Amino acid sequence: MSSRKQPKGKIRPPKKPNSADAQFNDNWDRLAQAIREIHKKNASILSFEELYRNAYNMVLHKNGDKLYNGVREVITQHLEEVAVSQVVPAFPLSGASSSQTNPNGAGGANFLKVLKTVWEDHTTCMLMIRDILMYMDRVYAKTANVPLVYDLGLDLFRDTIVRSQNYPIQNHLLEVLLQQIKLERENEIIDRTNVKASIDMLLELTDASTKDTVYATDFENKFLETSSEYYRVEGQMLVGEYDAPEYMKKVDKRLNEEEQRVRHYLSQTTEPKIRNIVEEELISKHLKTVIEMENSGLIPMLRNEKMDDLGRMYKLFGRVVKGHDEMKSAISDYIRELGKAINETVTSNTTAEGGNAASGDKQTGATVAVRWVQEVLDLKDKFDKVQNLALSNDKAFQTSFNEAFEYFINKNSKSPEFISLFIDDNLKKGLKGKTEEEVDSVLDKTITLFRFIGEKDVFERYYKQHLAKRLLLGRSVSDDAERGMIGKLKVECGYQFTTKLEGMFNDMRISSDTMTDFKEYLDKSVLEKPKLDLSVTVLTSTFWPMNLSASPRCNLPPELTKACGTFQNFYLGRHSGRRLTWQSNMGTADIRGSFKARKHELNVSTYQMVILLMFNDKQDGESLSYEQIKGESDIPEADLKRNLQSLACAKYKILVKEPKGKEINPGDQFNFNNDFTAPLQRIKIQTVASKVESEGERKETREKVEEARKHQTEAAIVRIMKDRKTMEHNLLIAEVVKQLQSRFMPNPALIKKRIEALIEREYLERATGDRRVYNYLA
Amino acid sequence: TTILLRDFNNLLEEGVDHNVIIQAGEEPNTKSFRAHSGILRARCPYFRTALSETWVKPQEDGVIIFKKPNISAEIFDIILKYIYTGKIALDKQDGTGILRLLMAADELILHDLFGFIQQH
Repeated sequence: MSSRKQPKGKIRPPKKPNSADAQFNDNWDRLAQAIREIHKKNASILSFEELYRNAYNMVLHKNGDKLYNGVREVITQHLEEVAVSQVVPAFPLSGASSSQTNPNGAGGANFLKVLKTVWEDHTTCMLMIRDILMYMDRVYAKTANVPLVYDLGLDLFRDTIVRSQNYPIQNHLLEVLLQQIKLERENEIIDRTNVKASIDMLLELTDASTKDTVYATDFENKFLETSSEYYRVEGQMLVGEYDAPEYMKKVDKRLNEEEQRVRHYLSQTTEPKIRNIVEEELISKHLKTVIEMENSGLIPMLRNEKMDDLGRMYKLFGRVVKGHDEMKSAISDYIRELGKAINETVTSNTTAEGGNAASGDKQTGATVAVRWVQEVLDLKDKFDKVQNLALSNDKAFQTSFNEAFEYFINKNSKSPEFISLFIDDNLKKGLKGKTEEEVDSVLDKTITLFRFIGEKDVFERYYKQHLAKRLLLGRSVSDDAERGMIGKLKVECGYQFTTKLEGMFNDMRISSDTMTDFKEYLDKSVLEKPKLDLSVTVLTSTFWPMNLSASPRCNLPPELTKACGTFQNFYLGRHSGRRLTWQSNMGTADIRGSFKARKHELNVSTYQMVILLMFNDKQDGESLSYEQIKGESDIPEADLKRNLQSLACAKYKILVKEPKGKEINPGDQFNFNNDFTAPLQRIKIQTVASKVESEGERKETREKVEEARKHQTEAAIVRIMKDRKTMEHNLLIAEVVKQLQSRFMPNPALIKKRIEALIEREYLERATGDRRVYNYLA
Repeated sequence: TTILLRDFNNLLEEGVDHNVIIQAGEEPNTKSFRAHSGILRARCPYFRTALSETWVKPQEDGVIIFKKPNISAEIFDIILKYIYTGKIALDKQDGTGILRLLMAADELILHDLFGFIQQH
């Protein structure tokens, strides 16, 4: 071709019109022929230089539009031929017959394969056509504002093949694609390469009006619609056929599959959309059904600690809006229910023991308390584990669980007492069987329960009582453990509470120093030494929970009275201005008892000592009546009964009672039990120590707490008003509640009463003009 | 850069390792130029496509023969120098020469050169 003689490239000499036309025709004929050769895959015979030059000349001679339109026509013609000769014959058999003859969608797959070839041929050709028409693209297309030739090719392919007006290619394509995806969803193996090729093709084509891809305009919506329907049906089928764990596994699998599908052969833009559909159809719509599935839903999973299933549910349900809320409320309800059951065993136990409680069998009361706390702790442990292993320590779940615990713990009005008793139990006996670390971790957990208590002031009162008993009766096993616990409470309640507790510890320490000094004092003194070892604990009355203002009635033996006197002189000599009151109800004594078999050392309470000493003056077999003991000892009746019970009706029967029985009644006769035997030389007569309070005591504690609350409320009101000087009623109430709620939840009526009391005592006055406003009176 | 210029100029004139022979001009007034396809394709959009695998089959010795009949040897010489060095000397050209140069630059899609000559 290079041998053509016609000179070219000289634009200066004006050519004759017909000569230009001729050249145009010649140029164009060659180009059109070349494009046909390209379509026939005969490009190797073509000369780039010549074809480029032909196109260049046409554009240079202002024939760009003719060239452009000519190219359009040639390509369109070719694609029409392709449609007829290749695409249409590859149409899969449509309708029901196709699924019969091609159960695996082979016809569809073949159609996609043909389309893939057609598309690949087209793009290859278009690249070559673009090469030879490069000058047209650069010079003509730009100025004429028409698509570059490659894009023109894409548009022609779109309109002639994909959206052909003459043949239902589009319908077949979409149908086949959706069918292939459906087959894959039903676990058939499909040739993803073919599907991907068609999808990629649709992604490369642009819709003229929306400027979006043909994939988005023609395919995606249909795909999403069919998917929606598919999963709607599947969801209904699955909930009917599978239990919750299996259902969730299926959903997990589906989500995974759809994600994989998008990654392998769909557009990434479809990912969130199809995910939403699966989530909506398989999760959102069946949330409640799955949670509530009998024998396999959320509650059975919790009951059987199916952490994997719970974790799966957490992850799965977290994908949809309401998912975690539904789970949270179901679990919280379950916690409340379990908590209610724990509370019920306690109330049924205590009412069953109601009769016994009066009879002094109060050890079981303490066991009930310990068991209640233990069960709550176990429940807490269980849900901590769930939280940890299955719920990724989700804060929102934690909050909701805490609320549930708080709810049922405060439903048990005895919870402050129980928790204090549980701590008491651990600090008393616990250390014997457990390491300090174990006790510490138990106490740490207990603190978490303590946080749930609304009436912290009530707990404080019990804790003080129990601590006092531990200290005074020497039951506390480890000082470190006690201090550790106080440290923990200090973190929770602040130092105001713990100063009193620390004061109690101080008293114990100072008392031990005082006793050393007292012994020295006695050694140096010329006074006659007491015939017994006296050990005195001096308590500062404000630190201790019991009423220490007066000495209880009791006739102490003369030697003891004398020894007490000696100590009193010693003590008051060192600390003038103090007053000592002897608390004989709290003391203990070591006495020696001679029995027929052997001698035993008895550790008894002061009251028991007083009782036992009475029998020293009696002959063998001579008995004392209840009335005699009562009259001579002057011990208060309740205490006397309890101590006699300990001596005559408990494990060690130092006294024998007539008639026999657990109860102490007026008229009972008591004898010294000379025949008493016991394997141990040293015997501790148990006095009833920590125990669940009886109803009467409880009422008393309640009253004390109420009294304390009145003071605290007034103190808070005065504190606030002193600061603000004048304040409106509701704001004042709100502020008081805010200040007190860490200790207890004051009710507005109580606050109102306190305000009135303060007005009466002229701390406050109502503002003139507005009766809802208070002024502070300095 | 002057050293670079010199070296590329030498490369063109000595034709070391050339793999393209371009015949410029119409028979019988042709002249062959030895060149390097890498440099031509890197520097000139026209050659980037023209010398691509799609359009050329090298001879057995690996050399590509490329005919460019509508650009005269004289003009192509200047263009080739420009492709290798980025430099062009227009002083010696008369009006016709300049015009031919301009057209060649346009056909080969050498935008910078086209612009430069237009300004001249």
